[in-house]
Amino acid sequence: MLLLDYQNVLIQSVLTERFSGAPPVVIDQTVSDFDGVKFHISTPEGTKTKIQVSLQIRCYGDLVRYGAEEVLNREYGQYVVPPEPGYDFSVLVDLENLPEEKEARDELIKKISLLKRNAMAAPFEQAYQEYYQLKQEAAKFTSEEAPQGVREGGEVKAIHYREEEAIYVKASHDRVTVIFSTVFREETDRVFGKVFIQEFVDARRRAIQNAPQVLFRNEPPLELQGIKGVNNSGSGEIGYVTFVLFPRHLTPQRMPDVISHIQTFRDYFHYHIKASKAYIHTRMRRRTADFLQVLRRARPENEEKERKTASGRTFKVGS
Amino acid sequence: MSQSLRPYLQAVRSSLTAALCLSNFASQTAERHNVPEVEARTSPEVLLTPLTVARNENERVLIEPSINSIRISIKIKQADEIEHILVHKFTRFLTQRAESFFILRRKPIKGYDISFLITNFHTEEMLKHKLVDFIIQFMEEVDKEISEMKLFLNARARFVAESFLTPFD
Repeated sequence: MLLLDYQNVLIQSVLTERFSGAPPVVIDQTVSDFDGVKFHISTPEGTKTKIQVSLQIRCYGDLVRYGAEEVLNREYGQYVVPPEPGYDFSVLVDLENLPEEKEARDELIKKISLLKRNAMAAPFEQAYQEYYQLKQEAAKFTSEEAPQGVREGGEVKAIHYREEEAIYVKASHDRVTVIFSTVFREETDRVFGKVFIQEFVDARRRAIQNAPQVLFRNEPPLELQGIKGVNNSGSGEIGYVTFVLFPRHLTPQRMPDVISHIQTFRDYFHYHIKASKAYIHTRMRRRTADFLQVLRRARPENEEKERKTASGRTFKVGS
Repeated sequence: MSQSLRPYLQAVRSSLTAALCLSNFASQTAERHNVPEVEARTSPEVLLTPLTVARNENERVLIEPSINSIRISIKIKQADEIEHILVHKFTRFLTQRAESFFILRRKPIKGYDISFLITNFHTEEMLKHKLVDFIIQFMEEVDKEISEMKLFLNARARFVAESFLTPFD
């Protein structure tokens, strides 16, 4: 429960139920996900046997520019249909035409519930490809004489996945840099965020030597200099968290996992800040109750009242 | 309890016990009014000399006695940003519940984190030494609570960071 799931659990459960062979029903459901992503599960044109899942994502324009369409077509192939009006991408599954084996069906469910992850994965995959290319080219030169393009690395890919926050991905010949800009709405979040980030930064030194390097600063990092739309105010509200993925994270075998995992960073991070706040709140509530208890002791015991037995006789206790 | 905390609390306890010597006293300036003189400040002759007990520059207690009321303000230790936030949250939490605390002032005096106002009516219904006990216990526990919360936050942050980074390993 500590780590967030990569897939959308609601889509997964709806599809699992539908694919299990239950009688087809009309579905019309809107599902929300992190980062303002919206899904629409429906049975279009009155046919109960066809299920359409549509995705609406804020930064679809950015994603398409970095090859989202190819990635999505590769993943969903035969299921892709023209997007539903108001949405960015749709897949359609025919219940009468499902794969035979249970494993293949589960695979399909999993795939569809990973719609958001796959859409967001495109820029990362592109960065991986760029890294492979640059690595090959860089292998031909020593580090001093490498031409400008190889030394500097690829262009910075910006994904504006939330209103004020963005992910920047940049490939170089020996690393891929992923930068999250994140906004702290209030002072408490900012301070808590700092504590958390500090631990991310230190974790590498302390326990997990092979983890990506994590850096944090309030001003935009050098990689983002001259990029359009980078907030330069330095008001302390915005923080930039940089992950440096090293070659050991960049092998093709590890690519899907690393991409899925790094996408959840922002939600994971903010989720735990909120959870700590909630815990501290309950703790303060408990402590306040304790204090009240102490204060109540200051009040002298109530005067002993006359008590009656069942038969109506009265007596006093203790005197 | 650390070496310097004990005499600090002892000093606060004795000063409070001495100061909590209140009697009913009707206002001299407004007829048929009976207000805490330490708050009203209309008659200087019934106000006594305020007293500060300080452990260091960050921790101190201000006791302002008067004939029918006494105001105690506490400054809680805040070593860094996190403690500052935690103290702020905690005192806000308490003052929002001032109603059930009877002696808690809704707003702290400037320069302090939390204030109590004890009037002669409180000392009439409640036991004086228990009220002093409450204040002392409050001072003891508030520090403990703040540092525990801070430790918890650090421990959680460490755990969270490690679990996120482990899959990369």
